[in-house]
Amino acid sequence: MSSRDEELIDIIAEEALIDRAKLDPAAKLEDIGLDSVDLVSVVFAIEEKYGIEIAEDSFTRSDTLGEVVKKIDALIDAKAA
Amino acid sequence: MAERLVVTGMGAVSALGFTAEENWAAARDGVTGIKIQPFDPGPHGPASVDFPAAPVKDAALPALEAALGKRIGNSLDPFAAHALMAAHEALGQARLLGAPLGHRAAAIMGNGIGGLRTLEKAYERLFGLKATKVHPLTIPRVMVSAPVSAIAIEFGITGPVFATASACASSAHAIAQAAALITAGLADMAVAGGSEAMASPGGLRAWDSLGAMSESTCRPFSAGRDGMIVGEGGAAIVLERESHAEARGATPLAYYVGAGMSSDAFHWTQPTLEGAVTAMRQACEPGGLLDDDEVLIAAHGTGTDLNDKNEAAAIKHLFGDKAAHHPVTATKSAHGHLIGASAALQAVIGLKALAAGLAPPILGYLGEDPECAGIDLVLGPKARAIKARSLLVNAFAFGGLNCSLAFRAA
Repeated sequence: MSSRDEELIDIIAEEALIDRAKLDPAAKLEDIGLDSVDLVSVVFAIEEKYGIEIAEDSFTRSDTLGEVVKKIDALIDAKAA
Repeated sequence: MAERLVVTGMGAVSALGFTAEENWAAARDGVTGIKIQPFDPGPHGPASVDFPAAPVKDAALPALEAALGKRIGNSLDPFAAHALMAAHEALGQARLLGAPLGHRAAAIMGNGIGGLRTLEKAYERLFGLKATKVHPLTIPRVMVSAPVSAIAIEFGITGPVFATASACASSAHAIAQAAALITAGLADMAVAGGSEAMASPGGLRAWDSLGAMSESTCRPFSAGRDGMIVGEGGAAIVLERESHAEARGATPLAYYVGAGMSSDAFHWTQPTLEGAVTAMRQACEPGGLLDDDEVLIAAHGTGTDLNDKNEAAAIKHLFGDKAAHHPVTATKSAHGHLIGASAALQAVIGLKALAAGLAPPILGYLGEDPECAGIDLVLGPKARAIKARSLLVNAFAFGGLNCSLAFRAA
């Protein structure tokens, strides 16, 4: 994982109050205990940090953490391009 | 006759410490939590300014997280975190942690203004950064019932749960409401008190603009007093029906014996003698405090000109010749004014004082104000031995809302 991906997972751990060690990229959001309220906090924090906009329906709770990070990466890269 | 109510647990967090015992020890030993410090509103506000205040130390949050064994982070505004910390300690002392407390338990906590720090951050984004979005959890963090919801969720309290708001009397009203709910048969036990976190750049500016804040420190009942000092924190007690406490082998720390409430219906910032006397009298009558030779009085004692002279007059008016024998403490001179949490913290410190037979000293006293003379002020620097077995706690709020509480030693 890139250092930015690590940073994204740090933000998720911080905002959703989930133990960093439990954030396995292969795990689904619903399986790591990330509920819809946590998700809005995570999205807000990432939008703030990277100056991007994440559409409301970008993620579902059946997405894996790795898929979420990949989608966010794409949005950040699109902004930088 | 209604069954007696017992206090079986106490918790407190303020500038004086993170537990009831730390708060009591500091108050007893004449330690102050008030100091002059900078309040910086950030790049979008005016320059940083120094104010005297008594904020809670930052280490409170890690201490709470360690006590609960989980992360809190910024998921709660400090005013809710302080409430949770005090409630956890009180329930722990009452030996009520572990299983969910269920529908026969209540949680009633007061506060004056809600999650001000969270609101300030949201407004900094809108009006300073011109951002279009604020944190998505702004509402649940700001709402005045956030502390009780946090407590209910944490401890599985599924009975009556709500917040009370009456500015500086909020936690006195909360305790009185909790007792009334138990007496009415709606619950067997309650965790009750209050919390506040107004020692923020905006909060301090607002108090300063009102002209209510001292430039140095809180000097209750003293000549030369010049206002209140903003403190913050949380305090809670566990109240139970006596038979409920006995059945589970809980140790009574004190008895709750009455509350009195009144409204001045007069002025936003000027108190009335009648309002204060009515609340105190109603609180004292059921438990017979008016006949006691010595009552420990935990005064509202804000250090403002108007409150202190009105409160001294009210004590003299109510107790007559006995007034000179009732030791009067005013611990806002140590922990500052916790606004909605003050009465609960003063109840906790007062109950500790009764148990120890020691009244904590009034700090910052410069000399006698003739308008506050005739009452027995406990002056520093050290605690004074007392014989009192009963406690009267006063809370007289802006907007003319008064609530007094009465307790007896176990």
